Formats: sequence, C-alpha cells, structure tokens
Amino acid sequence: MTRLPVKPGERLPVKPGERLPAQPGERLARDRVVGFTFDGRSVQGYEGDTVASALYASGQRTFSRSFKYHRRRGLLCCAGQCPNCIVAVDGAPGARACTEPIREGMRVEHLNASPTLEFDAMRAVDVVGSSLTPPGFYYKTFIRPRKLWPVYEKVLRHAAGLGRVARRHTDRAWRTEYRRRHADVLVVGGGVSGLRAAASAAELGADVVLVDEGPQPGGAAAQDGRHLTAGPLEEQAIAAGVEILTGATALGYFDGIVPVWQGRTLHQVRAQQHVFATGTIEQPLVFSGNDMPGVMLSGCARRLAALYAVKPGHRAVVATTSDRGLEAAMSLHEIGVEVAAVADLRQQSGVAAETLRKLGIEVLPGHAVVEAQGRKAVQKATLAPVDARAPSSERAFDCDLVVISGGFVPCTSLLCQAGAKTRYDPERGHFVLGELPAHVHAAGEVAGAEDAESSGKLAGLEAAHLIGMGDLSSRQEADELRARMAELAERLASVLAPPAVCGERSGKCFVCHCEDVTAKDIRQSIAEGYDSIELCKRYTTITMGPCQGRMCELQAVRLMAQEIGRNLSDVGTTTARPPATPVPMGVLAGPPFEPAKRSAIHGRHRELRANVMWAGDWRRPYDYGDPEGEVMAVHRAAGLIDVSTLGKLLVRGPDAGEFLDRLYPNRLSNLKPGRIRYGVINTDAGRIVDDGTICRLDEETFYVTTTSSGAGAVEEWFSWWLTDWDLRVYMTDVTQGLAAVNLAGPRVREIMAEVTDLDCSNEAFAYLDGKRALVAGVGCLILRIGFVGELGYEIHCPAAHGEHLWDALLEAGAPFGIRPFGLEPQRVLRLQKMHILVGQDTDSESTPFAAAMPWIVKLDKEEDFIGRWALERYSSDTPATTLVGFTLADGQAPTEGAVVLDGAHAPIGQVTSSRFSPVLGRVIGMAWVPAGLASDGERVTIADQDRTLRAEVRTKPFYDPEGEVLRS
Amino acid sequence: MSLGFLDVEAAVKSERFSPVARSPMERLARAAGGQFEIRDGWAVAVSYGSAEREAETVTRAAGWADTSHLGKLELQAEPELLEAIVASNASAPFELGCAHRAAGAWWCPLAPSRLLVVCDPGRLAPVRGLLEQAVGASDVPGSLVDVTTVLAALTIVGPAAREMFARFCAIDLRAGATPPGAVRPGSVARQPGVVLCEGEDRFTMLFGWAVAEYVWRQVDEAGRHLGAGPVGVDALRPLAAPVEVSSGA
Repeated sequence: MTRLPVKPGERLPVKPGERLPAQPGERLARDRVVGFTFDGRSVQGYEGDTVASALYASGQRTFSRSFKYHRRRGLLCCAGQCPNCIVAVDGAPGARACTEPIREGMRVEHLNASPTLEFDAMRAVDVVGSSLTPPGFYYKTFIRPRKLWPVYEKVLRHAAGLGRVARRHTDRAWRTEYRRRHADVLVVGGGVSGLRAAASAAELGADVVLVDEGPQPGGAAAQDGRHLTAGPLEEQAIAAGVEILTGATALGYFDGIVPVWQGRTLHQVRAQQHVFATGTIEQPLVFSGNDMPGVMLSGCARRLAALYAVKPGHRAVVATTSDRGLEAAMSLHEIGVEVAAVADLRQQSGVAAETLRKLGIEVLPGHAVVEAQGRKAVQKATLAPVDARAPSSERAFDCDLVVISGGFVPCTSLLCQAGAKTRYDPERGHFVLGELPAHVHAAGEVAGAEDAESSGKLAGLEAAHLIGMGDLSSRQEADELRARMAELAERLASVLAPPAVCGERSGKCFVCHCEDVTAKDIRQSIAEGYDSIELCKRYTTITMGPCQGRMCELQAVRLMAQEIGRNLSDVGTTTARPPATPVPMGVLAGPPFEPAKRSAIHGRHRELRANVMWAGDWRRPYDYGDPEGEVMAVHRAAGLIDVSTLGKLLVRGPDAGEFLDRLYPNRLSNLKPGRIRYGVINTDAGRIVDDGTICRLDEETFYVTTTSSGAGAVEEWFSWWLTDWDLRVYMTDVTQGLAAVNLAGPRVREIMAEVTDLDCSNEAFAYLDGKRALVAGVGCLILRIGFVGELGYEIHCPAAHGEHLWDALLEAGAPFGIRPFGLEPQRVLRLQKMHILVGQDTDSESTPFAAAMPWIVKLDKEEDFIGRWALERYSSDTPATTLVGFTLADGQAPTEGAVVLDGAHAPIGQVTSSRFSPVLGRVIGMAWVPAGLASDGERVTIADQDRTLRAEVRTKPFYDPEGEVLRS
Repeated sequence: MSLGFLDVEAAVKSERFSPVARSPMERLARAAGGQFEIRDGWAVAVSYGSAEREAETVTRAAGWADTSHLGKLELQAEPELLEAIVASNASAPFELGCAHRAAGAWWCPLAPSRLLVVCDPGRLAPVRGLLEQAVGASDVPGSLVDVTTVLAALTIVGPAAREMFARFCAIDLRAGATPPGAVRPGSVARQPGVVLCEGEDRFTMLFGWAVAEYVWRQVDEAGRHLGAGPVGVDALRPLAAPVEVSSGA
C-alpha cells in the first residue's frame, strides 16, 4: 500500500470524504490516505476504511442495483450481512463493500447495472415488467412459443446472476491455500463474549483458535461504546495464546470440521469443542419503499459513525421495536444528525424515550414507519400508529435517512449445522436456541445472554472442562456463572415483535432484499399452494440469496404464519446448510492436488521424448514417436518397455500357498520355487477382476504381479480376505519399490549376455522360470514371461536402480538394434497374442469361461476358493457370448466399442480391441460374439459409425499361435 | 530364493557397471540447485550451494531435505514377537504411535503386527542382521522386507515445519499431539504416508516412491510462501544423541 505520511500541521493532499471529528473507537489512520477507483472515478479514503465507508463519505449513496427489479440499493447493514453493497473488486465479483478494506489502486466496480449504475436499462423490469415476473415466472412466462425458448434463454441468462466472471483464465487465476488447523477449542465470533470464551479456555491450557469476520475483533462492542472492553479482552486472549484470525469467516460445520475463509487461505479447523459467539443480526422492517437508499439499520448508521467517522445523513427518521433504535437516535443526535422523529412500536418506551424527548426529539409511541419515498434516495418517511392505520393519522417527515430496527435474531446458522435445535420463543419474538450437542457451546447474544462477558467466560470454561482441563476452582467458577446466567435469563424483558408488514402503500414492500421478493410475492406463493416455508423458499427463492436468510427468514415466516393462520412455531424455519456465507468457488476448490505416479525411469522417458499419457494413476510413455517401428523392433531385434507400473505383492508365510489357492481359481500351492504361473482373480460371482503372474520365490514366499490399474484394488482385496481368514500370511505391497522392465525380442539373449552372468539359455532358463541374478551389477528378479509374444525377460530391481538398469540394457542392446517401446506398441503386440487386457476386453460380467480361458479354472481343487460356486455353475452352461479374435482383410481398424451385428443387423456383441498389425499386415482385434459364432472362419459384421465391416473369427493367437517363439 | 532384488545394497560395483542408487526426487533437487555426493551407494543431495543460507532457512522458516536414502525395513510378525524385538533393541514398549530411537534407527510400531524400522543407510545391514536373527530365533513366523525403495522420504525441519505440513496434511502435528518420537501414519498430500517427529520442529515424512515427484512439488508449493526451501542433508543437524542400548549391533 502506498502511504502518504502527513506531517503535523500539513494539509492533506486529498480530501477523503466528509468526516466527523475523530471518534473514540474509530478504525481510521487519518494520517494515511488511500486512493482507489469506483467505476473509474477516483476516490480517497483513510487506511482502515472499507470500500463502503470511503464511498459513503465521498457522497455515494447507490451501491448496487437489485437482483430482479434493478432498483437502487444503498447501505443497509454495513456488516457484511445483506446484499446491497456487493461489488466487484479488481475484476472479481462478489465482494461486500462494507467489509472490504480499501487498498491503494484497487479497482471497484458496480454489479448488475447496465450501462451505468446511475442509468440502468433493466430498471424497466421494475417500472413496466413486474406483471411478467411474478414468483416462479420462469415456470409460467417465457415458455411459449417453444421455438422462442433459445431467445428467452439468452435474454434471461444475460439478465440473471450478479456480476461476471472473467473470461480469461489469467484473470481468474488466484491462489487459495488450504491450511489444516487442529485445536482444542474453536471460538467463532470475536465480540466480547467470544474473546472472553477464548481467553478463559486458553488460560486453562487449551489450544484455542478464534475467528472473526471483522478486520479486528470487538464485534458489536466496537460500535456501541464498549470498544474499551474489547481491546483489553483481545490482549488477554493473545497473552493466553489464542490464535486470532480476523477477516475470517466460518463457512459451515462439517462433522466437526469448520472451514474458515480468510482472504486467500481456507483454514480447515478441527477442534474438539466449538464455541459459537456469533451474536445477533438486526432485522429490517417491511414497509413500502423499504429498500431505498437512505433506509438503513440502526447498526449500520452507528457503525458508519463510530468506526469510520462518517455521518450517515443530515435529517433522520428512526423506526424501532426496541431500545436499540432509541440508542441509535441518541448517537445520531450526538454526531449532529437532526432526528426529525422516532417511531417506537411499543406503547411504553421507558427511560431512553424520555431522554430523547428532553433533547427535543419527538418520540411517537405505538407508531411504525409505513412508507419511504424518494427518487434516487429517500426524501420522505411516513409514520403511522400501528393500531389505527387511517391516512389521517399518518405523518410524513422530510429526511435523507430512515433508521430502522426490527429487533434482533440470533445468528444460529452454524449452530444448527452443528446439530443445535431452535424453537420459537413468543416472548422474544424470534427463534431461540434450544438443545445443544455436547461439544457445542453458545455464548453471548446468540444464546440470548445479556451479560456477554459472563456468558463467554462460562462457555470457555465449559469447553475446557470437557477436554479435561481446569481444576476444582474453575469448575466452581463455572457453576457460579451458570447460576448467574440462569438468573439473568429469567429477568429478560419481553420484546415486541413487529407486524409482518408495517405498512403497504403504493410501492413494493421487500421481504427479501437479495432476491427481490415482496410481501405480495409471498402471499401469491401461498395462494398457489406453496404454503410451507420450505416450499415457499423453493418457489420464490426467498432466503436463497447472498444473505442466506439472515435478513428475511423471520419476516417470511411471520408473514406466512399470518397468512395461513398458524403460529410461527408451526411454520418453523428453513434448514441451515453450508456455506453460511457466500464464498467464491475458487476458495472451495483449493490448491490442485493431482497425485501422479511416476516410475523410477520416468525421467529417461522424457529425455527420449516419449509421448506421455495417463494410465490409471500413472504417467506412462504411450510411444516414442514411432509405434509401428517400435512393434517391428520387438519382432526383429529387441524392445525394452518400462513395466514398473505393474502391481507387485509379496505374499509370505507358512500358509501363503493356501491363501493364494483360496483367492485364485487355479492351483498355486503346488507351484515349484522358481516357477511362474498365470492367474486371474475373480469376484465371489466368478467374474474376472484382475490378472497377473505368480512366481514362487521359496517355500513360503510368492511374488504376485497384478495389472497396473488394478494394483490397489487387488492389494485391498487380498488384505480384506487375509483379515478374515486368519492365516499365517504376511503381505507387503512393493509396487512402488521395484522398477521393472520387459526386454523382448529375438536378440534378447545376446543382450542379456552383455549384462549378466546368468545362463539364459532355454535349457537353463525356461519359459515361466523366475530367477534372481545380478543384472548390470544390480540385484534383480528375472521372470521369463511373454506378454508381448516374443522371447522376453521381465526384470525387476530396486526402484533406486531403475534408471541404471534401463540405461545399461539400452546401451548393451544398441549393437543389436534395441528400441524402447511404449504402451501403444505393447497393445498391438499383446493383441497379436490375444492376451486380454482386464477391463478393456472384459467387463463386470466376464467369466473365465466366456473369456475363452476355461483352462484357468481348476474345479478339481480340494480347497474352496473365491467364486467357486458361481464358476461351477458356469462350467456346465454355454456362455451367451464369447471373447474371440477377428481379422479384417483390409480397411481401417474399427473403433473399440464398435457393434457386432447379426444377419438382421441386430446388435449381438461388441469390439473390445482392434489394431493394425504391422507384422501381419492386416487389422486384428478381439470381440464378444454369440457362442455359436465362436469358431474359426465364422463371419461377423461390425458396424462402426458409418462403416460396415466384414470380419472373420479367429480363436487362436494371430502371432505364434502354438507359442513356439515364446518357449524357444 | 532371497529377496535380494529388493535390496539396494545387493548392487555390486564392477569394471563395467557402477550402479548408484538414486532418489525419485533427484531431478527436482538438481533443478533446485542441489549438489550431490555419493554416500553409501546413494546419490545424495548434500547441499544447495550455500551452507549459510540453508542454516538460516532451517532456523528462520523451514527446510526440506531429500532423505529417501534412509534404510527402511518392515517387519510383520505376531505382536508378541514385535514387542520382544522392540523391547530388546530399543528398550522400550511396543506402543502404537510411539517410535523409539536406538541402535541408530527409529523403531516405529505402525500396527500391532507391523513394525517399521528407519535408519541411516550405513546402519541398514546391522539392523537387518539384528532383525533376521530375532525372527530366525523365534518359533512364530515373521516377514522381514526391505522397503527402502518402497518409501521415499523428506525431512522437514524448522519453526515453520508444522505450518508447511498444514498446507498438505491433516495429521495433527501440534507439539502436544505429536511430540518428538511420535509416529503418525496417515494421509500426506492425499497419499498414504507416515510422519515421524524426530525432534523439536523436525519431521521425516515417508511416502510412496512413485509419488515422490508429486509430493516434492506439494511441499515446495506449501513451503515457498512460508520462506522455506530445499536444503541438503548436511544442513540437518544430527539428531540428539539417542539412548543407545547394548543390542550387540
């Protein structure tokens, strides 16, 4: 921030608006001027100002246009609760001007008005279009003729919403950081009660976090003359070790986790105990013209004056239902605002009214404000007795400010999300807290406590006690405070609830400022049958706007109760759901976490310019730029592929063989050490879920490989059964610990001779043998298997030596024409051998019998095994469809997923894999076809988008059908 | 057939081949200016150019060092055997969540039937010997597996270490909840991992070898805004002298 220091006696270089003399608790640093723009106009304020206070001081009265009718809206709450001052800051919409601190050079723009805030063309909706936009108008109007819907939609979409999100990504990119914070106690709300609760708990040794929405703690105390109380309490809390987060909004309550949004950080606070000192929210009154600029809540007027030294108006009319309005009138008088009249809904107002009268201010008991009038802002207010609404009894007052106070409701949204219940209290005229969960505490005004400090202290002590802190003395103190709070609660004076609508004249009476819902709209909703508060909410969208019902729910409930003739308790409230406060999606999205697994050789692949792609959660080389050439290298010389992604499990223990026998349909306990067997894993229903090889390393140790994408699921499956069966077996997942490469091709023995002393002759190292040896100086496990159909060795070594092994093999193989090959060539090679890819060639219904692998199922096994019952049944049935190979004489490979048709062109199967085989010179593939067609030479038709292809069925591998190459 | 193919130390240097074990984060460490030395068969990032700057980083904010070369052994066995092994080698009870440092290694009970031992690479062979001997002498079965390359590791040290973790990890690492010697299996950067508190403001985080590059980037992202940076292993002050027990190692 650019600061402009002012020397004593020097005049300010700019005038940051009209200000009052220094106020006792003001937040301004008057020696520092900050400049920003509003709709391109330069505005100055002091450091400590919010956008709203600086603008108001500069004379701005209209801050936004309303959502539906585009009416002028001015400051209403000045506390971040209502929607009236929502602006865009530096291109980001959704900032509340009344809580957004000003910064040097910031760019503030209005929302929802075009072409300008002063002249908004969409205002026509209010003037002439109201009849077209009743509640739920989108169900009634703009639906006929249907062919015009695209036009309607375009217009409605253009008109809807608040603000515009930047189109360019660079303008939207901003970093949100997640911060997890564990705590013993979380206190939400930094008013007197919250600060006291935090300090009390921390002084007993608890780790406490306090979050407050304001730029500094203090809450209501900061504006009503108690700022001297809040300051020392804050210091006390800090001294006790409380972490205070200011400008931080608690967004919701998710099973104990409270996300707290603070600027560009989202704190995820996990606390054992939660104290909510969220205070109360002042309620507006419902009367004609109640949304006009210049009509503001008493708290708003007091905040402007006390915190920002801004005079809210020159001549005011005050309308209230409690002493709060009278106190506001007093405050206004003290700062030089002429108070024309005070309408007090109560017949008897007590001492405060007398004091006002002594100051020459007219107080009208039993009166309410029934209408506000004006052009761009309020110019006149009409007051009338509540029990005699004859026009003759009304009195109109010229004014530029109407201060209203319709009572206060506890801010219970977060508490309700945490499991608290509310009930309607007729004596208080609003819904109050009832039962609280054990780990949840309420303090201060939200709990209905007038002695905020005692209430806070009690909540803090109770929270600390529940986590085992404190001593006898603190418990005694808590008992005393509890008794005192109970005593005070009994003495609470009853409150006069205002009527649902104070006055309804020619202008609109807004119940919901966010969504422009009027009293008339609520009545119409009820008339149309939406006569419960939840239905009315959905129909009219009341409580669904940025205030989330803070300013409108009680009024809506009151009006509904009145209209349907029931009490408020029966009408109830809407359900409190997170987020409690509007929040940018970017905050919730948080930083990107995209875990990618990379093999130990991945760096080499990048250096070799591999095309890298996602394969499950791995990054793998798709090819190295020449997939056909890579296929041919494997057939003609040698190829090397990184298969580190294979799942790898060590299964050990005296019962390891039995364990695997129970999991696989074939027999593995009789596998000899040093030998390998293929296996498929089935579900209980006999369906294939994975496959791989099993190498027996010694009597009690098996090395199990799985598919790359199935590794996690297989490990979980094995662990699950291991827990259940109670066998003497231990399993270790070494997938990430071992690098693995497959060296394949006719010249691989020559290459192996260069890097190992192991005898790799066919006699010494036969097909499906597994041996341990040094390869390029590294301890390796070598499996002689052949997924790609050529003589091959799958070499496994510690991941830390993966690069070394890869380099050594490529170097040794260079004279023999070795090439690295990627996934795509591997898919061609395995397809030539008709080796299945689980998940591609099989689906959730595929059994080993249907997948042409009946030989894998050993039903003569003595032991029971997973899926046995189902497989026994399938063994005697002919499967409806069977997996077969097919070839095309010419043409392009059909799309995987293409449909197999019968003679009548009805779908009878589908293609699962297909590729052009460079070594065979034709297209090959695999497909599910009816069992009756699963014979060599059968003809099938494949429909692939707009092509029809004739294919010939093959049941044996296309390449090396007898496996002579593999076994050579 | 032994499990030597899991053992980095099984590598043999010859005229033709000089295998060097490499961390999965080596490329990132080099890109960040890491200077490497071969230690115990591993290429280890020992510094990032300025010992002074690294010392300041770990004193004022936090530094992270690639310690993937630490030896790691997993022993699975009946709880009674594990209890006996920890008692005899670390003179401590087998208590979940409580690691003990002895014989140059951290003895970390992760589950009633699972013990993870983390040690300097030079101590791997003797510690393995100890464990093999203990398992061999027992009547109950057990499985000892070298998981050195299954788990990569970063050691994060400095006053901002906890704040760094808070950016990518939800484990409660407050001093009271995770004191020195505490071991916490859990999610780190949304991956399975283990966090071992080795001392005041010093944590070693173990995670999958294949996700190491991703984890490094998350740590870097978390630390950058807190003034943290990568440091060489030489910037890690030696751990406070552990209570060595007469284990015969």
